[in-house]
Amino acid sequence: MRRVSKTSPRSSIYNANVYGLDTKDIWTCLTCGLCPMECPQQVDFLSFIKEEREGKQPLEVAHLGVFTELADLSSKLDGTAKPESGDSKYGYFPGCVDSLGLFLHDVKTDFGEITTSSLKLLDKIGIKPKVLQMKCCGHDVLWQGKKDVFDRLKNYNKKYIKESGIETLVTSCAECYRTFSKDYDLGIKVVHTSELLDKLGLKINADVTYHDPCRLGRHMGVYDAPRKALTSNGANIKEMEHSKENALCCGVSSFMNCNEQTKALRIARMNEAEATGAKTLITTCSKCLAHFNCLKTEKDAVKKYDFDVVDLSVFLARQLEAGK
Amino acid sequence: MKGSVAVVGGGIAGIQAALDIADSGFKTYLIESRPSIGGVMSQLDKTFPTNDCAMCILSPKLVETARHPNIELLSYSDVKSISGKAGDFKVKVIKKVRYVDETKCTGCGSCTEKCPSKVPDEYNAGMSKRKSIYIPFAQAIPRVATIDAAHCLYLTKGKCGVCKKVCGPKAVDYEQKDKEIELNVGSVVLATGFKPFDPSELKQFRFEHPDVITALQFERLLSASGPTQGHVTKQSDGKVPKKLAFIQCVGSRNLRINRKHCSSVCCMYATKESIIAKEHDPELDITIFNIDIRAFGKNFEEFYNRAQREYGIKYNNSRPPEVIVDANNALSLKYEDFNTGDLKTQNFDMVVLSIGLDPADSTRTLAQSSGIALDDFGNIATSIENPVETSVAGIYVCGVAQGPKDIPDTVAQASAAASKAAALLSGERGTMIKERKFPDEKVLSPEPRIGVFVCHCGINIGSVVNVPNVVEYAKSLPGVAHAQEMLYACSSDSQVTIKDAIAKNNLNRVVVASCTPRTHEPLFQNTCREAGLNPYLFELANIREHCSWVHMKEKEKATEKAKGIVQMAVAKSALFQPLYKQKVPLINKAIVLGGGVAGMTAALDIANNGYGVTLIEKEKELGGKLREMTELYDGKNPSDVLKELISRVNQNKNIKVINEAKLTKVEGFLGNFKGAVAVKGKEIPLDFGAAVIATGARNFEPVGLFSYGKDSHVVTQAQLEKMLGKGISTNNITMIQCVGARNKDREYCGRTCCIDAVKNATRIKKANSSANVYVLYRDMRTYGVMEKLYENARDLGIIFIKYEAENPPKVQGGSVVVHDSMLNEDIELASDLVVLSTPLVAGENEEINQLFKIPLDKNKFFLEAHPKLRPVDFATDGVFLCGSAQAPKLIDEAISQASAAASRACTILSREFIETEGAISVVNEGRCIGCGTCVAVCPYNAPSLYDVTVKVEEVTYTTKKSKINPAACKGCGSCAAACPAGAITAQHFSSKEIGEAIDAFDKGVRSISIGKGVVEVTV
Repeated sequence: MRRVSKTSPRSSIYNANVYGLDTKDIWTCLTCGLCPMECPQQVDFLSFIKEEREGKQPLEVAHLGVFTELADLSSKLDGTAKPESGDSKYGYFPGCVDSLGLFLHDVKTDFGEITTSSLKLLDKIGIKPKVLQMKCCGHDVLWQGKKDVFDRLKNYNKKYIKESGIETLVTSCAECYRTFSKDYDLGIKVVHTSELLDKLGLKINADVTYHDPCRLGRHMGVYDAPRKALTSNGANIKEMEHSKENALCCGVSSFMNCNEQTKALRIARMNEAEATGAKTLITTCSKCLAHFNCLKTEKDAVKKYDFDVVDLSVFLARQLEAGK
Repeated sequence: MKGSVAVVGGGIAGIQAALDIADSGFKTYLIESRPSIGGVMSQLDKTFPTNDCAMCILSPKLVETARHPNIELLSYSDVKSISGKAGDFKVKVIKKVRYVDETKCTGCGSCTEKCPSKVPDEYNAGMSKRKSIYIPFAQAIPRVATIDAAHCLYLTKGKCGVCKKVCGPKAVDYEQKDKEIELNVGSVVLATGFKPFDPSELKQFRFEHPDVITALQFERLLSASGPTQGHVTKQSDGKVPKKLAFIQCVGSRNLRINRKHCSSVCCMYATKESIIAKEHDPELDITIFNIDIRAFGKNFEEFYNRAQREYGIKYNNSRPPEVIVDANNALSLKYEDFNTGDLKTQNFDMVVLSIGLDPADSTRTLAQSSGIALDDFGNIATSIENPVETSVAGIYVCGVAQGPKDIPDTVAQASAAASKAAALLSGERGTMIKERKFPDEKVLSPEPRIGVFVCHCGINIGSVVNVPNVVEYAKSLPGVAHAQEMLYACSSDSQVTIKDAIAKNNLNRVVVASCTPRTHEPLFQNTCREAGLNPYLFELANIREHCSWVHMKEKEKATEKAKGIVQMAVAKSALFQPLYKQKVPLINKAIVLGGGVAGMTAALDIANNGYGVTLIEKEKELGGKLREMTELYDGKNPSDVLKELISRVNQNKNIKVINEAKLTKVEGFLGNFKGAVAVKGKEIPLDFGAAVIATGARNFEPVGLFSYGKDSHVVTQAQLEKMLGKGISTNNITMIQCVGARNKDREYCGRTCCIDAVKNATRIKKANSSANVYVLYRDMRTYGVMEKLYENARDLGIIFIKYEAENPPKVQGGSVVVHDSMLNEDIELASDLVVLSTPLVAGENEEINQLFKIPLDKNKFFLEAHPKLRPVDFATDGVFLCGSAQAPKLIDEAISQASAAASRACTILSREFIETEGAISVVNEGRCIGCGTCVAVCPYNAPSLYDVTVKVEEVTYTTKKSKINPAACKGCGSCAAACPAGAITAQHFSSKEIGEAIDAFDKGVRSISIGKGVVEVTV
């Protein structure tokens, strides 16, 4: 794999633990989880980074930190929304698509369509979930070292989920999925929408390629379900040079870095997608979606990529609408 | 020749003319009769059709005028006479006695507060009281008090004298006298405006009744700064009215009292006032009684439609002859209902008279004393070809003094008059203006040494905020080396004190805690500069508008808040770094796109100002739409006008005409554009500093409407115009108005079509008095002095028949059937010729808008920077607009606009260099990822992208980087806020500076508690 960053896991652990030198490396790390895949000692580098960052000030936060400020603010406010009544045992959490749509309007992506599509597809397979109006899951703030903010959000959301009485939490966001599964102790089942969509009975008949988001893939080990959701509905997957455990990162890194390195990562990944010849690049994380589409919609783009970047649920729901 | 100009009248016309002339390098005297500049616009609540707050858009212009180094403001002064000749006029000015020394008064208002004598307030149209010593309104310029000698107790009876006693700076002087001065100027611009019609002359409207008010009074009732703080109440009993009527054309379109003109603005202001009144109180029932609704300007028809559709405002096409007052003093109106033909009566709680615009008395007296010709209406006489030139060479006119018009037309004319005055005096440009000299800047020591000056503002701040307390607090703040209080920080002795304190304490940052930076920042920045400090090391903490004025009753809390404001300013100022304006060279040449009458006029005006112009025309010959005309509405032959204009263009050595040419490329920015022109297959490079877009419009072809294209007897008004050049023999002519306009597809009004129709109908009738000429119309929109043409046409026997949009006329071989909406009957008119009046539609504007990155409106006409005050500018600096490319207009209006665009262009071309702003945004290229977000959000086209190769470890890619052009950047900070990579810094307002200010306040906060409707912050 080509390297675009000088981040060295070994030196960052060494400096932090041995000499207490708080190196930059803990912040330039994208937390994509690729290095533990290679590590012969199976060092849990991700947990190290997460703990090491706790309580420290990030070197930078992209988008002037607006998403962090929003999460911080919302964590301090009393939530007013009460869970829907009803006896559905399923809850669906849309995540932060609204604020993505609000602040990333330049990216020209309808993030809200992820929610509407997911609900449409769930409906098709007979699941009528309660829509959960919770606060942010806290993924970004957790990885930015703001454990206090994360804990406030978590406490609120846990209480909300308990009150809602659901037994399965469905999310269409890879980050929410990882966070609810590993960083919360909900005691209920957490599933990603991609795990439910293999029996839609669609006959898509198109070449697509699939990008594994780090949170769904390496963090959670979900590689096959989204692929099955595509192939069992008739789509033909053209794999990229790096996929599954070896997939390249989109570079979004909890909205921490927006720089030449992360741009290089996006270009590298988009070039791989282009090389497959597929007309659609599918992903299952709204951040990956935003990041790739940002490259595509640049004012004076580096390159014209002649394929669409679409969320899995949106892709399938559109096919469903089109009567495929 | 003198390099100076006197502008008479300080309303919006005079202000715009003065600013343009001063910006073009001439000493300018702005002479205003009232104590403050601003004119009638300063009394308006909102402006149509955008409902922008009038004062919010006017006030910056007032301030700019006051600050302008080349403008000398002579307020409260009358012009007695003008003598001499072009280039050398003597203007006699009476500086009326103010009894207040303008140089000493700080405008603190202590005198006004203590004055015991109350007088009806002109600013509120007599509906409230002001004091005998007064400042006319909060944003008045100059902000100095004036004593009303007729009511002052001391001046009338020798008693009182309170104002003199309370005046801190000792500005009151009862011994002052009128002073006569003589100005020697090269040119004069008359902008004497109008006088609102006094409706007491028309006794039948019962103006003496307290609930019968003028529209100007109603405007004041709607205004938050008005007598009722914006609550519409009846003057009789203070109750909220439920039913309200407007009567249009009071003092306009009235032969009996010799007001033959249409006042041009009343239909729209009545619509605007109705909308605002409905916004204040949706239950209010409003009917506007009118003769015609004249919504002829850009976006006016849309505004009129919205008033009906969204606000439920009723328009009744019948004008009541009188206001009826019954025995109980209740009001009612009697009118004809054209749907039934019945006479009806309705009661109203309030009747608003839409009063017209009368020529100002001062216009008449000045014209008479100075030998300037007036027209039949009492306006300054001009001609179609020279709409701003008076009968005296070197004296120009603009605004309503030349004839009734709205604000954008006034502003355009003002710039036009400025262009003419500047062209006349172009040889003397820059001879009478001075540049200020400053000492060298001191070397900045690394540690901040901040000086804090806390102002009492007389009693404005000091009576609420404990100023000594704030000073003591300021001394305790980090980095503060000196703090003191001042009675008036803005007075001239205080400037000396500040300079001394800077020197003595070796200060390197200055914070003044007083009032608003909008008016006072430049003053203190200058003081800092005189003391050797960079002006960007200064910060104003506003403890008046933001504190003492709004917390008058909570003195202790106000003091705490003032401390917080000062604390934030101190924290921010510690991070300030010197910033410098850059000087960028420019190309002193312009291009004009379009060789019609507008384009030729713009080119001539720029050339006459002494700058090179390239005139680019797509056709073989110059002339544009005027070539298709056969008679102007004043009877002149267009080909004579055109011939003269073309020969002046061809003979002017500053103008280069390129025919059959097209602009194909534009790069660069204000002062430094690089373009290319395609001529006969070749591409020629062309560099220029400013551009004027005068590409005109085209006639709408009404294919498929009223049998046009199928029946050879159906022609357009433009075709008739040509036919009339040779004369026609037809006897029965029917014209249909609003064909392809004022409908769903094309909502706007064609503006010129009614006047064209009346003109051509008159030509037919004059040539053949037995001809039957019918004009089928929806509203006759012969606005302004054009009303005369309409009146003459009716006298000649031309029949005007009103139809409704829902029930249009039908053309059926040889006749037209129309449903006359007034008679409520179908009429069949034998018609040998049917003439369709169609609007002008946008030309090929879409290529040009891409080249210059300038916007189009929804009808594909060019969109000006601001519909009211910047009618010929674009948001992109250096590009200007005129003529029908902006919206349909009459020839004289297009000529005025063309001269205006030329004037605006000359304010740039006349500079030796382009001076950038100091506080602009800069890109950290290392962090920039070239996404182009900054390019997309910038309203001024300042950022641009260039190619770079980025090598990140093993990945190499070609990408873009942003750079911000300092000449175009205004420092608004939009790009810095939008940049996802945090690569852009808005200097002087960086995240760090703002962040430090917020953090400083945050540190001092002891508690925040949220109550019902109030947030309590304890510091």
